[in-house]
Amino acid sequence: MAHFSLLRDRCLLSFSLLGGLILGITVLSLVNMTVQELSDIPHLLRVAADSKVFDSIILTMGAGAHTIIILMIFGIPLAYVLARAEFMGKRIIETIVDIPLMLPHTVAGILVYILFMKRGLIGGPLYDVGFSFEDAYPGIVVAMLFVSSPYFINSAREGFEKVPVHLENVARTLGATRFSAFLHVVLPLSARYIYNGAIFSWGRAIGEFAAIIMIAYYPMVISTLLYYRFSTGGLKESSSIAFIMILACFAVFLVLRYLSRFIGRYDDRV
Amino acid sequence: MIEFKKLSLRLGAFHLQDLSIRIDRGDYYFIIGPSGAGKTVILEAIAGLHLPDSGEVTIDGRHSTAIPPEKRGIALVYQDYSLFPHMSVEKNIGFGLRMQKCSKEEIQSRVSGLLEQFDIVHLQNRYPGTLSGGEQQRVAIARALASDPDILLLDEPFAALDPITREQIILDLLRIHRERKLTIVQVTHSREEIMRMATRCAVIINGECVQEGPVRSVFENPESTVIARFIGMENIIPGVVGGRISGLASVDVRGESVIAISGVSPGKKVEILFRAADVMVQLVDGQKSSVQNRFSATITAVVPLGGSLTQVHLDAGFPIIALVTTLSVEDLKLVPGMEVVASIKASAIKVLETNE
Repeated sequence: MAHFSLLRDRCLLSFSLLGGLILGITVLSLVNMTVQELSDIPHLLRVAADSKVFDSIILTMGAGAHTIIILMIFGIPLAYVLARAEFMGKRIIETIVDIPLMLPHTVAGILVYILFMKRGLIGGPLYDVGFSFEDAYPGIVVAMLFVSSPYFINSAREGFEKVPVHLENVARTLGATRFSAFLHVVLPLSARYIYNGAIFSWGRAIGEFAAIIMIAYYPMVISTLLYYRFSTGGLKESSSIAFIMILACFAVFLVLRYLSRFIGRYDDRV
Repeated sequence: MIEFKKLSLRLGAFHLQDLSIRIDRGDYYFIIGPSGAGKTVILEAIAGLHLPDSGEVTIDGRHSTAIPPEKRGIALVYQDYSLFPHMSVEKNIGFGLRMQKCSKEEIQSRVSGLLEQFDIVHLQNRYPGTLSGGEQQRVAIARALASDPDILLLDEPFAALDPITREQIILDLLRIHRERKLTIVQVTHSREEIMRMATRCAVIINGECVQEGPVRSVFENPESTVIARFIGMENIIPGVVGGRISGLASVDVRGESVIAISGVSPGKKVEILFRAADVMVQLVDGQKSSVQNRFSATITAVVPLGGSLTQVHLDAGFPIIALVTTLSVEDLKLVPGMEVVASIKASAIKVLETNE
């Protein structure tokens, strides 16, 4: 039915053509790279078998996953407060949530570095007890956390706002505390938004470069490794790594998107 | 017993001001008023979902302003039913019992009892999105009753139902009210529901309680023309008190004198109110009778009300609406343009001073 109306409807048709152009750039660049990479398969396999590349991809995705877990623990409560409470200075809090979206990533990197470096406000005391952010895994996670938090918080908040307050009110009159109502009614009904927010911010986190190298050049996340190989080994070396990362991301996101079909679809039926 | 004392509450653009009402145990209490008058907010305040800015709420004499909704024993059913879309009918009904940590067996037996009582056993595994309005309403009421509340709050429970389903649910509610000796507070803007179900009622206009009391007294003695208009008083006509004759007031209405029982002094601007049912329509002015007010009038319209009753609109120098049986309309062959006589007993007319 959708195909049928798309072809008959001139407005939809011309919109699709215009939209196709923007998709075209992505598709063209992917096809271009695929063709190049597949022209030298032995080289591609050699890069793929390089344990440094493999480790770096695992490191990047793992740090991204850690970031999401931390975001869930702290971001969900914040998103709920923003969705349900009216208070003075709410606009200011909302702007603070969005700041990482607007800042250039190098600026975000400087902010994170100054706070978490060995002499930093948070990094200093923690360094004294043997916990370092500079050139260490925790440094990668805080940088990712900083740049990806708005995506998660805003998405979770939107999900909470979509749950009618009436449902929560009814749950409370039936004997649920505010927390129980949140746990049994609000959370299941906004699971889809939380899940999608997590996917987006995970994607954002694993794609970060500038903010991460400022605090943690080592261990090398995939974008750092790619940049390093680009500046030392040239285009051929780095584009193979890029291609492998693209395949890995594509596979993971496809699976995650597929799984999202099974999560929290009840709201569609009301 | 629930008592609101001078409750004030501001919510965005809306506010309740100095609301004082009292609902006794076992009442079927109606809160009535035009849309947007704040009726739902009052229910939510009774349930404890809003903290008042000032004033207090007492339940059975206990100060309850600070008691959270989950500890009040007050169940609320919204107009949109608000069933949990991610739970089956059975799980919806058992929700309150699960929150109160009842045993599995107890939940099971209470839920199946309610499923039977509301004749929804066949729906137990269905999800709310697949139910009709009437079915959802039954589930919502069953869910509210599951945790055995002292008070049931209903927000326009029949607004979205077809007449047959509506009738069944009205009967269900009247039965529940009688059998469980439950206090029910219901919000509506339907006069018919009030006349049929309510024991007491409060009229809320613009966040203010303008009249409160037993249904009969509110409907027979509206304290202002706004209330009169709302409760469906058909004839509300402005005039000026011209003089007094042996304890009665004579009101000038566009050159005609209308006699009414009232203590309002001459010269005052007033409005006279009377029910269409209190107007008698005759073909010719017959012999003298005890009726004080008799006006020659022309029929301007005959409006059948779809049952055994018909409204007859008259022009007697001022407009009068009369309610007669459709049978009489046929007997007397009442048609527009016809000259008739309209009589209204002085005791049927209420005189209210205009506040200006």
